[in-house]
Amino acid sequence: MTRNKPNIWKYSLSAVKGIYDAYAVSMINFLRKPVTEEYPEYKRPLPERSRGRIILTRDPDGDERCVACYLCSAVCPTSCISMESAEREEDGRRFAIWFRINFARCIYCGQCEEACPTLAIQLTPDYEFCQYEVLDFVYEKEDLLVDHGGRHPDYNFYRHAGVTEKGDKGAHPDEEEPVNLKSNMP
Amino acid sequence: MPRLIIDNQKIEVPEGTKVIDAAEQLGIMIPRFCYHSALGAVGACRLCAVKFLEGPVQGIEMSCMTDARDDMVVSTDDPEARAFRRFIIECLMMNHPHDCPVCDEGGHCLLQDETVSGGHDIRRYKGKKRTFRDQYIGPFVQHEMNRCIHCYLCVRFYQEFTGYRDLAAYQIGYRVYYGRFEPGQLESPFSGNLIDICPTGVFTDKPARYRGRRWNMERSPSVCIHCSLGCNTVANARYREMLRQEARLSESVNGHFICDRGRFGFGYANLPDRPRRAEIGKNEASWTEAVRALANRLTISDGASEMKKTAVLGSARSSLETQAALAILAGSAGWPMPAYFADPHQSSVCRTVVRRLDEGLAVSMKEIERADWILAVGADPINEAPMLALAMRQAVRNGGKAGVIDPRPVFLPFDFTHLPIPREQMEFCLNHLIHSGIARQEADDAGEAVAGFYAQLPEEAEFEEAVREGISTLAEGLKQSEHPVLICGTDIVPLSTPDLAADHAHLLNRIKNTCGLFYILPGADAFGAAMLEASAESAFEDLLKAIEDGEITALMVVENDLIGAYPNRKRLETALDRLELLIVLDYLSTPTVDRADFFLPTTTVFETGSCFINQEGRLQYAEQVHAVGAPIRQLRGRSHPPREHRDEVPGGDPRPAWRAVADLVRALDLDEIRLYTSGPESWLTGSKGPFRFFQEKIYPPREGRILPAESEVAPFKSSIKKEAKKPEAGTLDILFVDRTFGAEALSALSEPIRRAEPAAAAFIHPKDASELGLSDGDSAILRFEEGDLEIPVALNNDMARGLLVIPRKPDLEWQTAGARFPRIARNRIAGVRKETE
Repeated sequence: MTRNKPNIWKYSLSAVKGIYDAYAVSMINFLRKPVTEEYPEYKRPLPERSRGRIILTRDPDGDERCVACYLCSAVCPTSCISMESAEREEDGRRFAIWFRINFARCIYCGQCEEACPTLAIQLTPDYEFCQYEVLDFVYEKEDLLVDHGGRHPDYNFYRHAGVTEKGDKGAHPDEEEPVNLKSNMP
Repeated sequence: MPRLIIDNQKIEVPEGTKVIDAAEQLGIMIPRFCYHSALGAVGACRLCAVKFLEGPVQGIEMSCMTDARDDMVVSTDDPEARAFRRFIIECLMMNHPHDCPVCDEGGHCLLQDETVSGGHDIRRYKGKKRTFRDQYIGPFVQHEMNRCIHCYLCVRFYQEFTGYRDLAAYQIGYRVYYGRFEPGQLESPFSGNLIDICPTGVFTDKPARYRGRRWNMERSPSVCIHCSLGCNTVANARYREMLRQEARLSESVNGHFICDRGRFGFGYANLPDRPRRAEIGKNEASWTEAVRALANRLTISDGASEMKKTAVLGSARSSLETQAALAILAGSAGWPMPAYFADPHQSSVCRTVVRRLDEGLAVSMKEIERADWILAVGADPINEAPMLALAMRQAVRNGGKAGVIDPRPVFLPFDFTHLPIPREQMEFCLNHLIHSGIARQEADDAGEAVAGFYAQLPEEAEFEEAVREGISTLAEGLKQSEHPVLICGTDIVPLSTPDLAADHAHLLNRIKNTCGLFYILPGADAFGAAMLEASAESAFEDLLKAIEDGEITALMVVENDLIGAYPNRKRLETALDRLELLIVLDYLSTPTVDRADFFLPTTTVFETGSCFINQEGRLQYAEQVHAVGAPIRQLRGRSHPPREHRDEVPGGDPRPAWRAVADLVRALDLDEIRLYTSGPESWLTGSKGPFRFFQEKIYPPREGRILPAESEVAPFKSSIKKEAKKPEAGTLDILFVDRTFGAEALSALSEPIRRAEPAAAAFIHPKDASELGLSDGDSAILRFEEGDLEIPVALNNDMARGLLVIPRKPDLEWQTAGARFPRIARNRIAGVRKETE
């Protein structure tokens, strides 16, 4: 049985090639335009509909949009939303006396936004709100409420739904005057 | 028996069954709004349309209006029927405000369900929506008329079923409006059922407004404990707070409905001042500390196993488990057996009831609905057991006759004959009435015992003209009756009346082969309490006597407001002062709790599963609804729940009273391991336990009567007087009575009930009033020996003379009168003129 003798020249050549090839790749990429974004120095603008931190928006009149109808909490797959509804003393408007989202549990699926009939709850592109304490992820209503209408600045639920909140019945655009019960007219 | 085919399934149903019911028997739920099995069919909503393919009827027809007949072939999901129903829904939704997010019905709304399942999603009609103004209709029900679909269920229920007229349909055509003529509180004490019955959000629960949707609630089948009927409910709690009660269908007890006292009376469970910590003296302590300290106080000296002799007072509102546990505790500690009624009158009559009621006589409310002659003695159904009035009304609607022998001004929502007889003459009147309604020959034919009893009944009676007429009307009704029912109250009747009523029920039973007997008792579990008292021969009067004599120096009061319930305040105070140790277990904050040396907080019916026996001997189980603990709303007010983690539930100390008793037994080292090693089943079943007439020994028990087949007491032993007892001249009888709202101890604490209750007023006959110089609205000052009682008077023609009827309201110190049935001399009543503007 003959033993193959290693060819020392061949080995040396491949080692040198390896080193120079790597330098060549580095040199080529060194001259290219970089693709890495320098987070946190650079923050990429996310699409408007990307799903991050949740906010509660206001209607064009500046009132809270949320009527605490419990639909977002019902649809939430992780049950991270809880709230309690109440009647506002001055005008009888339904609102949330407290509203809580546990972001430690939230999976940003956006189903709450889809369920919301008043367009109050909206997901924003903001994703930067890491915390050291789990309890700091529990956002109360005052943390969630913003002073704008989010993506839908013009919508006002109460102008479309036929319930009175301020003023008389029949005041909405698509409504007739209230029926006069004491009238004999046909 | 028609045989028909519905959706390819054959079914045979009794004659007269509607197709909608036949389908339901097959498990096919045809959509409907206006059809309700208790109220019948009117065909107003047109939603139950189905297609009749073959047979006597063909084409699209309303299944609620069509009787099932032979050879019918019905398709519920024929494309034509579906299209028809979708069209109906679209029309119904044309004026709907589309306000589901702010509507409380959303989540359990029939209109919502049918709209979604019918496939209607876009409002194609572009015209304007019709609107209505809403009304204030009282503290129980919220009105929002825009949501109405005009199915007429509310008015049919309110006017036809309950017999009140103040909610009606107004206007015509598309302006039909359901409401009151003027805004104001609904008069019917059954108005809360509008919430359940309305298929959409016109009538919603006002106290629970916006507090949560159906899916947020912890819901459990429960039993109402605000009177003795034991109506079935569904209790709804959220965040450890009771929010709503709904009626639960019970074929034999309440049917589909409950009264407002039961529906809105749960407020006591949520009260912020509900005691939730154990107390030693007035110092708060943990449960274990308190039980240990209590055991030490009860043991006379260290080392010796001798114990301080303690009297135990249970209650008629406690669960059966608690009542039975108390009996075991007292028995093994060598104490006198517990009493359960503070009021000696209640104790005595309830024991009679338990001894006399058996399977042969007892009837359920369902059977009352089928009766054709009902006589209530010493009962005021609408105030003492409101749902009974509704059952009686159904009997009258079916052609039955009803009469009430009662001195009070009795109102019932149907035509009945009221015999306003003074209290001591009620028995005489009953005897005379039954005598007039039964022919001598019939009695003679029914055997010697019956004939002998009949012969004792008074033939002649001297009554006023109106009463004589009433008696002859009722006697005439009894002659023709086939299913008579006797109702006997226990609140104001003389002690012998329950016995007498049972004898008369036996008499009618022998003659007519059927006669029901229906007692009204003073408490949700008064029946169980009376069973335990009767088998142990114990009574609170004896215990009180022993306390006064100094033989007993410790008293344990369990879930009973002794100070509020005992009719003689002065005597009780003196006895309580003699006590060395007063131990109180309760879930309410009562004057008795304030006096306690030891206090242990207990749970309400909503926080523990518990058994109750209603007045017809029916055992029912109320399941636990929510965990023990202070409502979340009470921890931070109207703000968000606390943001910290804790090991213990705040306010979570209360335990079931029977658990407290078991803990005490363990701390006292008594030889009663079954109290804490196993569940309540072992101590409820035994040979003397309340379940002894019950076949299945399981816990929680199944619903059913726990009555003996035949009572041990032989009938016809009542002594019968030939002459009516004459009322004493110069004095007025005083009756302290129950009211629908505001007199029952638990519901009186509920906020909406408090708003609905009328102002306290004493009823008096106008002639008595004019003799006393009082007119309507004046205040009367009753000068009792122990103190004065001031109350406005209300004149009422429809009541006995020589009588003052006063509601037993918790804030009215009626116990100053010093007796359960006091008499007061006319010259001790002073009048105060009503201030006129």
